Parts: sequence; C-alpha cells; structure tokens
Amino acid sequence: MPVDLEKILRPVDRPMAPFPAKYVTLASGDDMVIRQVGRDDIPKILPYVAPLVYVERDYYDCVAARVYAELLAYYRYRMQDEYVLVAQIDGELCAVVNGRMVDERVGMSLHTLAMRRGLRIGAHAFAAKMEYHIDILGQEEVLVVAESPIGFRRWMIEYNLEKRFEIPHELGGVPSYALTRELFERARGTLVIGRRPVPDDLMAKAEADILPPSDPPTPPEDLLAATRSKYDPTGTALMLQRWVQEGKVRG
Amino acid sequence: MRREIYAYKCRKCGQLHYPYRMVCKGCRNNDHNEFDPEPLPRTGTLVTYTDLYALPAVFEVPKLCLGIVELPNGLRVTGQLRVEEPRVGMKVRGEVEVVRRETYDEYYGMVFYEG
Amino acid sequence: MRDVYVAGIGITSFTRLEYPLSEIAAYPVMMAIKDCGLREIDHLYVANMGSGRVNHQTGLASAVVDTLSLTPSGAELIENGPASGGSAVKQGYMAIASGLCDVVAVSGAERMREVNNLEATDLVATLTHPIAEYIYGVTLPSLAGMFTRLYMEKYGVTERHLAMVAVKNQRHALRNEFAHIQQEITVEGILDSPEAMTNNPYVADPLRFFDCCPVSDGGAAVILATRDVAESTGRPLVRLAGVGQASDTHCVHEREDPTDLLAVRRSAARALGMAELAPSDVDVAELHDAFTILEIVESEEAGFFPKGEGHLALERGDTTLGGTLPINVSGGLKGRGHPVGATGVAQVHEIVHQLRGEAEDRQVEGARVGFTCNFGGFGNNVVCMAFVRE
Repeated sequence: MPVDLEKILRPVDRPMAPFPAKYVTLASGDDMVIRQVGRDDIPKILPYVAPLVYVERDYYDCVAARVYAELLAYYRYRMQDEYVLVAQIDGELCAVVNGRMVDERVGMSLHTLAMRRGLRIGAHAFAAKMEYHIDILGQEEVLVVAESPIGFRRWMIEYNLEKRFEIPHELGGVPSYALTRELFERARGTLVIGRRPVPDDLMAKAEADILPPSDPPTPPEDLLAATRSKYDPTGTALMLQRWVQEGKVRG
Repeated sequence: MRREIYAYKCRKCGQLHYPYRMVCKGCRNNDHNEFDPEPLPRTGTLVTYTDLYALPAVFEVPKLCLGIVELPNGLRVTGQLRVEEPRVGMKVRGEVEVVRRETYDEYYGMVFYEG
Repeated sequence: MRDVYVAGIGITSFTRLEYPLSEIAAYPVMMAIKDCGLREIDHLYVANMGSGRVNHQTGLASAVVDTLSLTPSGAELIENGPASGGSAVKQGYMAIASGLCDVVAVSGAERMREVNNLEATDLVATLTHPIAEYIYGVTLPSLAGMFTRLYMEKYGVTERHLAMVAVKNQRHALRNEFAHIQQEITVEGILDSPEAMTNNPYVADPLRFFDCCPVSDGGAAVILATRDVAESTGRPLVRLAGVGQASDTHCVHEREDPTDLLAVRRSAARALGMAELAPSDVDVAELHDAFTILEIVESEEAGFFPKGEGHLALERGDTTLGGTLPINVSGGLKGRGHPVGATGVAQVHEIVHQLRGEAEDRQVEGARVGFTCNFGGFGNNVVCMAFVRE
C-alpha cells in the first residue's frame, strides 16, 4: 500500500532549531537578508538554479547540478536533516546555501551557490551556514569540501580548516575538511556577522516572494571563438557547441 | 651549521650590496665577480610590514607577515616577521630559517623576531 | 625625428574571455583598422606578459601577425611586466619617429583567467626578486601593502581615502561599456558597514579587497602613423607628443626612499618635457591604479599635486569626472580591469578616445592634453606618455 511504502522511503528528520533571519550591508550599500526557507519555497527556487547548470566557469555547472538535486530531494522528502538558506536583496535571490546534519555532533556543509558576483555574497552565505551548525544547532564540527579553486582558497585556506581525509564527503567522495568548534570560536569575528532582528520592511519584502536573479552567470555568447580555442583546459568550447546544437542554450 | 645571508662588498670602492648585483652600483667599475661576501648583521629596525592574506598556493597558512628591515650598515632586507604586534620602528633580530617549502625543495631566508 | 600620431584605436571587453590569446590580441587590431581605415601595416608590436607561462604560447607576436594576415610585416612581442603596453607603444613610436616605418599597429593582450587565481597571482609575483623577495612569499599586493603603511604614517592617507579611489573608479567604470567591473560600491558598504570585514577583507594589510584591481582578460590596440597618413584617415589628429621611461631598483627594499616612486617622477618629467608641457597643462590622465594607493601617489609624482597632497585633491573631488583633473575616467585598472599586457595600450586608447571628443557620457569637456602612466613591476620600470589634440 502506498502509505506504508512512503513510510519506508521517507527519512525521519531530527528536530532542528530554525535559523533566525539576519541581514548584512554589502559593499554596494544594499541590504541583504539571509533566511531559512521551507519545502514550500523550493519550487520557486529550482528554476533559478537550472540555467546555471550550463555555465562551465568556476564549476558553476557542477555545483548547480548538485544543488538542484539536493533541493529536489529536500522538497520530495528524500534527504534527511537538510536545511536550505537563501540570501535576498530586495526580494531578489542572490545565493542559495544548504547543508545537513550527519548526526547530533557533526554537520555537513553541502553547497554555496552565489547568483551575483563581485559583492562577496558567497562569503556571507557560507558564514551564515557555519553559524547555523555551530551556534544554533549546537554541533561540534562541520565537514566542508570545495569543488572550485575559489571555494578552496576562501574556506580551506582562509579559515585553516582541519583535514579529515579519512572521511569521504558525500559529494563524490573527495577528501573532507572540517570546521571545528575551536576554529569557529577563533574566527567568530568573521563568521558571526550580520545583524538581528531584520527590520520589518526588509523582512516583509524578502518573505513576500523570491524574485529571479537579475544578473546571474551565463554561458559565453560567441561559440565560434570558443571552438577554436586550442588550449582551453575547461573544455568550454566543445561542450557549449554541443549544447547549442541540442537546443539547450540559445546559439 | 649557522647559515648566513650575504651582502656583497665591491673590491674597488667598498660599496655594499644586498642582494647581489653583477656591476657595483657605486663605482660601476668593477670586473665580473669582484665582490667579497659579507654576512648580513642580524639586528635591525623595522621599516614597514604587512599581513598578507592572499598567499601563493605553496604556503598552507592563512596569513603571512612580511616586513622590510633596515640594518645598521645601511642595507635593507625583506623577510618574514614572526612578531606578535609589529610596529614601525621596532627593534628586530634575524635568524636564517626555512621560509618556503616546495615539494622537495627548502628555501632559506631571513626571519625576524622581536628584539 | 618625425612626429607620430595615433590614427586608430580598438579594444575588447575586459572580463573573462573564452577566446584564445592570439585572438584576444588580434581582435582589437581589427577594430583599430576599422576605426581608421588603414590596412597597410608596416610592423606589429604585441604587449603581453603571461603568454609563455600561463597560456602555453611563446612567440605570441608571430601568431598574431599571421592570424591578422599582416604577414610578411615584422612583428615582436614586448614584455615589460605590467608596463608591457606602454613599452610596446613606445617601441611603435620609435619605429615611426626614426623613419623605419610609416604605419605601426600596437596590440596589448592578456588571458590570465585561463588559469585559476592562485596561478595568476604567482605569475605576477614572479616580477619580484627571486632570492631576496619571491621566496618569502612576497607578492605585488604585499609590496603595495608595505608601501601603503609607510605612506599612511608619513602623509596621513587613510583607509577612507583608498576606499574613495575605489568607489570613484568603479563609478566611472559604469559609463565604460568595456570595463570589467560594472558594480557600484559605496564607502559605507566597504568601510562603515558592520559587515565591512567580510565585504572588504584585508588582502595585504592595510590594503583591502576593494583596493586591489581584478584579474581580467582583454586586449586593446592602437595604430600609430606619420602625420600625412593620419591626416588621410579623416579622423581627429592626436599626436603622441612625449614619451619617457625610467627604471629603479629591482628590490623594493633597496629604493632610496621607500615612500618615493622615483621612476614615475623621472619618466613623467621626461614625457612632459619632451612634449614641452607642464603638469598643469594636462586635462585628463590615466594612471596605473593596480592598487588604489598608486593612483594617489602617481598623481603626486607626475607633478599634478604636491607630494603628500594627492589624497587632499581626491577629497576635493579634483580627480573625479567633472573635477579639475579627472583621473581614470575609464575606471582605471580598478574598474576597467587589468589584463597585464593590455593595460598600457588601453590607457592610450582611453586618452585618444577622450582627446577626440568621442567619449560621450564620460567625456572630459574640452580635453586637449592627455597623460598616461604605465607602472611596471612595483615601480621599477615605468613608462609615461603625453598626448596632444591638434
């Protein structure tokens, strides 16, 4: 019977304290709200993540594809103890971050996907995640991996994360690093930032709707030049041409 | 073995150089290699410093403190600083230690400590 | 020596480009040729720093001259660190002034984003002295950081002044369709906000994230010609009136006075002297603001403001578009981007664009004399140029 099967397939979530929303003032002078979203908001976010699956640079394609899968799994009750935070400026989606609890003690940071570049939004969103795991959920450490070199430099090197190479991270079994409570306390000044509570009008705007990103990363426009790029280590040229042929991106 | 970093003294006019140059900048008149090596003094004053956060990949630390130190003989040296609270004008003393490791190679240079 | 004119200009967007380096160098030459209509090029100079090391292509000029079908004209790669562009334009100038060539194309290009940012930083760090600086982990930002600290202590420049340069240049860049950074920032957001440490973290204390220029790909080109040839194009006449270059010690610690940029002072004086101009004659300038402190100091060393008062001129608004001496109206390196080899040529591109009166909403009214400063290494090899509209 369908109801019993769902009981088997659906994981049972632990109770998780909610993330209290906060806001930060960015370099541009704009205020950005970081808040937790529930399953109801996921269908709105998925179409904003989908186009990034075709942007090769900085591993956006890899990260976006995995984020899409994780958000979908969260929405359809096929991922245990996951949380999703979004960062919005004037209601417009600027970043999606997610993670989950491995057990009471250990958290796992899944991804940070920034949809607007140049304002260190990814840094703010990542810091919010770390605060959530250690301060709010009360965990002792968070496992972190990075797909792109930018992520590696910003997190592994800047925060001096401890190596946990014996633990294969869910994201492809790559060697994990960990942010321990001790490292968190040492970096508290840079990891616990932002102000609470969020002013009413700012919060109302953010909760009203999750608007599409106005300037997301897009694949390069001119294909012909890319195909002639002989020393293109990212393989952009050939993949992009194939996608245009298959109608996945406009030519 | 006590390692030294050398300055180079022109045999013709006595001008000191750090680092090495092929032609003396004082007299511009020496033949190739007409220099005498002289170990750099170990004490000096801190001229300026910075905390560098954007490091080359080979350094696995989050930040590096670099500084320029003026030595009693008038020469200046760039080196790493291992000082808690650097201040312009403070007295420092130098040791020659490993400053960089790259796969199988170790590079020695000046590291400055307080005092 | 014959007079030399800038007859044509061309530029690509400065951003991340997925094109091969030889095309990034060739495309602006094609644009410049379209600009002036001169198709017979006697010689090509290509300015670039990283082609061998990060793009795996040596002899770049030979590749570019062929892809443009300019063979059998001669071609050379000019590498002078971040001053490659200025040096290449200077070589082009010398070729025409000496009578060896009549029409010369100079292109500057760089594709640094082909590799990740750690390797790009290392590419620029190789400019430092291998034994006395590089091994310690010294990078150009660290040299700029040490220099800034001294300048702050000696002349009272503050982080706020540096932030003002960044805000100004990024605002200027909004009016430049080719600029890399199209983002307005505010001093409040990068300094005063409680989250300023994350928005604007220290890179090489006291220099912060927004005090450093971005890593960009891009190319720019100019076509230099004799007066007769330039006149035949029908485009406004802009003469490359003066050029000056000077070098300084390789190691920054060996500089006579660690708060001086003597190479800038000397090369600027030579360029303006050759053009028979005074610093006060200059209407618009493109200075090398790889780090915001450099714009302030170069404006002093070039003679525009007294030494130690560049930040006061910045406060007064003199160096903003609409002020008495607008500096970096294109966005400078901070806003427009810094593809190392292209920068020097891009500065010339902007000055010529301004002197022709075609810069539209970032036009400096009545600009007749322009100045560029291309800063190589950390001030150990500087090329300055002066331009006059005729």
